[in-house]
Amino acid sequence: MNKPFQKIYFDPYLFFSLFLLSTLGLFFLFSASNSDISIVSKQFVFIVAGFLIMILVSQPDPDIFRRTSGLFLVFSLLLLGITYLVGPEINGAQRWVRVGAFSFQSSELLKLAVPIFLANFLFNKKLPIQRKEIIISLLVICCCFFFVFRQPDLGTALIIACSGLFVLFLSGLSWTFIGGSFVLFIISSPFIWNILLQPFQRQRIATFFNPESDPFGASWNIIQSKVAIGSGGLLGKGFGEGSQTQLNFLPETETDFIFSVIGEEFGFLGVLLLLSIYLFILLRCFYLALSARDRFCRLVIGGLSLTFAANLIINLCMVVGLLPVVGMPLPFISQGGSSLVSLFLAFGIIVSMGTHKKFLPQ
Amino acid sequence: MIFEERQIEKNNFSIRATLLFGLMILGLIAVLLQVFSLQISGYTDYQLAALNNKNYPVPVQSLRGEIFDRNGKALIKNEPTYDLITRPNLIDDINSFLEKIQPVIFLSENEISNYKKLQKEKAFDNKELVLKKDLSAEEIARFNVRSFNFQHAFIAQRYRRISDYPEIFSHVLGYTSRIENDIKSMPEIPQSHWKDTELVYAHGLIQGKTGLEQIYDDHLSGQHGQRVYEMNAKGQFVQSLSFTQPAKGSDLYTSLDIDAQKSAAKFLGNRKGAVVAIDLESGGINVLYSSPTYSINQLSNGMSESNFQTLLNDADKPFFNRALQGRYPPASTIKPAIGMYGLSNNIVNWDFEMKDPGFFTLPETGRVFRGWRKGGHGKVNMHKAFLVSSNTYFFSLAYQADIGELSNHLSSLGFGQKVCLDCFEEDPAFVPTPEWKYSIMNAGWVKGDTVNLGVGQGYLVATPMQLANYAALLASKGMYSEPSLVALGNQKKSLKIWQDKRFENSDWTKMHQALLGVIESDYGTARSIRDLKEFQVAGKSGTAELVSLDSKEAYLEVRNSELLRDHSIIIAFGPMPNPRYAVSVVIENGESGGAVAGPVAIEVLKSLINE
Repeated sequence: MNKPFQKIYFDPYLFFSLFLLSTLGLFFLFSASNSDISIVSKQFVFIVAGFLIMILVSQPDPDIFRRTSGLFLVFSLLLLGITYLVGPEINGAQRWVRVGAFSFQSSELLKLAVPIFLANFLFNKKLPIQRKEIIISLLVICCCFFFVFRQPDLGTALIIACSGLFVLFLSGLSWTFIGGSFVLFIISSPFIWNILLQPFQRQRIATFFNPESDPFGASWNIIQSKVAIGSGGLLGKGFGEGSQTQLNFLPETETDFIFSVIGEEFGFLGVLLLLSIYLFILLRCFYLALSARDRFCRLVIGGLSLTFAANLIINLCMVVGLLPVVGMPLPFISQGGSSLVSLFLAFGIIVSMGTHKKFLPQ
Repeated sequence: MIFEERQIEKNNFSIRATLLFGLMILGLIAVLLQVFSLQISGYTDYQLAALNNKNYPVPVQSLRGEIFDRNGKALIKNEPTYDLITRPNLIDDINSFLEKIQPVIFLSENEISNYKKLQKEKAFDNKELVLKKDLSAEEIARFNVRSFNFQHAFIAQRYRRISDYPEIFSHVLGYTSRIENDIKSMPEIPQSHWKDTELVYAHGLIQGKTGLEQIYDDHLSGQHGQRVYEMNAKGQFVQSLSFTQPAKGSDLYTSLDIDAQKSAAKFLGNRKGAVVAIDLESGGINVLYSSPTYSINQLSNGMSESNFQTLLNDADKPFFNRALQGRYPPASTIKPAIGMYGLSNNIVNWDFEMKDPGFFTLPETGRVFRGWRKGGHGKVNMHKAFLVSSNTYFFSLAYQADIGELSNHLSSLGFGQKVCLDCFEEDPAFVPTPEWKYSIMNAGWVKGDTVNLGVGQGYLVATPMQLANYAALLASKGMYSEPSLVALGNQKKSLKIWQDKRFENSDWTKMHQALLGVIESDYGTARSIRDLKEFQVAGKSGTAELVSLDSKEAYLEVRNSELLRDHSIIIAFGPMPNPRYAVSVVIENGESGGAVAGPVAIEVLKSLINE
C-alpha cells in the first residue's frame, strides 16, 4: 500500500504462458476453421481485448472484488434471467444475450461470480465450517447450477457447480460431510438420470459407454475424434494437412473438438507441448494460491484456477474419449469471445490477488 | 483470527489445494496416457481408419478381349461409340445450358428429364453425368467446332461389344449382360463403390452370360484398374489421388470358321436344325450352328424388355441351342455303331448274309418291326445293309445283342455324355439301360426295346454335337481328339483312342468303304448328293421317326402336319480316302435324311475343304 500508483501489477509467468497459448491457439484455429480468416481475426480481436482486460483487472486491490462480490453475483444472475426471457434459441438452447453487435454467453460470468461470492462468504468463518454456512453455500451453488442447467447447458452448469464446490472444499468443509454427500449422490443417481437429464444427454452418456452401438449417430463424434488424434501419430500430419479436419469428418473443429485438430496435425509432440503449457499455468496458479496474502485471495485464486483446470480437463477427457460428450470449449484455444473474455477476466483477478501483498499488523 | 488459527487455516488450505491441484494434474496425465495409446500404440489402426474415411477407391473397367475365327478374322470386337459427358457441378444454370446445347446435339424429352433428375445429386458429389449416348458422326463434328461454348461438357469414347455376324454365331459365341458389380474380381473394393465404376463399355459393367463369352469369361475379362478419390465427410469427391491402369482381357482364338458357318446358315435357311463340324486333325470345332437364331449385338448392348420377351416366347425357341441341347433319335446314323458292336462281339462278320423281307418279326411276341422299303432289299450282307440302310439286318443284329454290353458300347462312342471340352451348357442326352427304363417308366426292359435301338429309334437320343463327335471317331478310325472350340496354349489335349481288339484295322477299312458307298455308289441311300461336290464323302443318313406307324395311309396323313414330320439327319466326313473334317446335320421335320440334310453337310464340307 506504500506506493500504489508506481507499480503495475503483473505476473510475467502467467502473462507469457497465456500469450504463447493464445497465439498458438490462433494458428490452430486457422487450420481448424479450414483457413477461415474472418473467424481467426475475430478471435484475434478478442484476445487483444482479453489481455487489456486482464491487465486492467489485475491493477486494483483485491478488496474491491470482495466488496463487490454480492453485486457481481446478482448482476450475473440478472443477465442470465434476461437471457432466459429474451435470448434467441439456438440449437434448442437459450444461452446467448445480445449486447449491441456482440452476443455474450451470460453463464460464463457465473463461473467467476460464484467462487468469488462464496470466498467472500466463507473467508472469515471459523474452522470447521458450520452447518448453516454449508447449507447457504450449497443453496447458492444449486440455484446457479439449476438456472444454467435449464438453458440447457449441462457443461457450463457442471463447471459452475464445480467452481462453488472447490471454494467450499478449500475453505475447510469437514470430511464427514464430504463422505456423507458422496453416499447421497450415489443413492440419488438413478433419480438424476431419469428426471433431470434430457434425452439427448442420456443418449450421449449411453453411447459413451458403448460407442459401437451407434457408429453413425451419437458416437460419430467420439469415434471421429479418436481417429483424428490417433492418426496424427508422433509428429502429426502437418499444419493444414489433417484429413479428418480438412475433409470435415471431425465435428465442431473450431470449438469443442479443436484439441483433436491439434492431435491430428501436430501429433504427440504437439500435444505434449500444449499440455506442458497448461501444466505450467496450473502450477503457477497453485504457487500464487499458496503465497497469496490472505484467506480470501487464496480461496479465490484456488477456486478460479481449479475451475479453469476442470474446464480444461473435462474438454480433454471428452475429446480423447475418457468422458461422455458435453459441450465445453478448450480454454484459450477454442473459438468463442465469451469464453475468452471470462477467462482473461478470471486470470486478471488471479494476478491481482497473487501480486498484491499486504503486510498484516501483528 | 489469532495467528495460530490463521496458521492452521493456511495449512489446511495448503493440504486441500495440493489435493485438488494434484487431482487436476492426474487428470492431465490420464489424458496424456490416453493420447499416447491413441497416437503411438494405436497409430496403425487409426491411420488406417482415417484413410478409409477419406479414400474412396472405384474400379476402372477393363476392356474385354476380342474373339477370332481360325483364320484370324474377328468374330466379336470392341467397337467405339461416343458419349457426351458433362460436369454438372461446374454448370451454373442447367436449363440455359441445355437450351444452348439443344441445337448442336438433339436431345429427346426423355434424355432431358433423365438428366435433370440426376444432375443435382451428381453436382453435389462432383461426379460426371452422361447427357447423351452414342453420338452420330454429324453430332460429334457439330459439337467439336463449338466445344469452346461448352467448357463443362466433353465427348468420351465408350465401347460396344459387336459382332459382324451377330445372328449366325449367336449360340456359340453367346452374349454379355450387365452386372451390378464384379466383386469377385476385386474383393478389396466395397460393394457400394461399384456404382461409381469408370466404365469403358456404354452398356456398363458386363459379364459373359452364355456361350464362349461365359465359358472363357476369366480369360476375356482382363483385370479392372482402380482410381482412388479423396472424399470429404459429405461424400463429395475432392480430388483423384491415384490411378491404376486396367489390363485388357486376352483375345480368344477359336477353331470356328466364318465361311463354313455361313454355308451352314445359308443352306439350313429358315428351317429348324443344327450343324456341327469338327476338324479331325485338332478336334477343333469349325461349325456350331443352331437355327433359328437371334442377334447377340442387341442382347450384349441392351435389348428392350419387350423384344427380349418376344424372343423368349417364340414358338421356334431361338434361344434353344439345338446343336448342344437338341435331343434327337439318331435313327439310321446309329447303324455303323451297331455294326461295330456286331463285329467285335462276333455276332456277325462282313460275309454273313441274310434275307431282308422288309420286316423283322420278334420271335417271342410276334411283334413286327418294319423296314423303310416295302418288300425289303433281298439278300443283304453288312456292306449292303449300310448302303441300302436295311432295317431288317440291324433289327436282327440288335436282337442278338446284350443290352448292357450294347449300352456300354454306345457310351464308349460318346453317347450319353458331354463330349465337347468347352461348350456352354452341353446336354449329355442319354443312352437307355434297363435300370433307366425301370426307374423312369416303372417297366422292365423288353427285347423289342433292344431291337428298336438297332436302328436308332426308341429311347436312345443324341445331340448334333454327339453325332459329329461320333462321325469324327468313325472318320479317324477310333483315334480322335476331343472336340473343343478353343485350344489354349496351356491346355494340352490328349488324343483319344477307341479300341476293341476284335475290331481290326481291316474292319475299319471295310467300314469306310461301306460308308463311302452310302453316298458315292449307285445303291447308296444318300446318292442324291453325290454330284454336288468334286471330292468323295463318306457318311450315313437317317430319318428319325417322331411317330411310329404301321400303315402307309397313316404315314401320308402324318406328313400333312409339319411338326410331326420326321427329322432328317446325316453324319458325313471327307474328303475320302483321307478325311479331314467330320460333320453332322439335323433338320427338324425335314423328312428323308440323305436328300434334305445331305446337301447342307456337303456345302459345309466344301467350305471347309476349299479354303
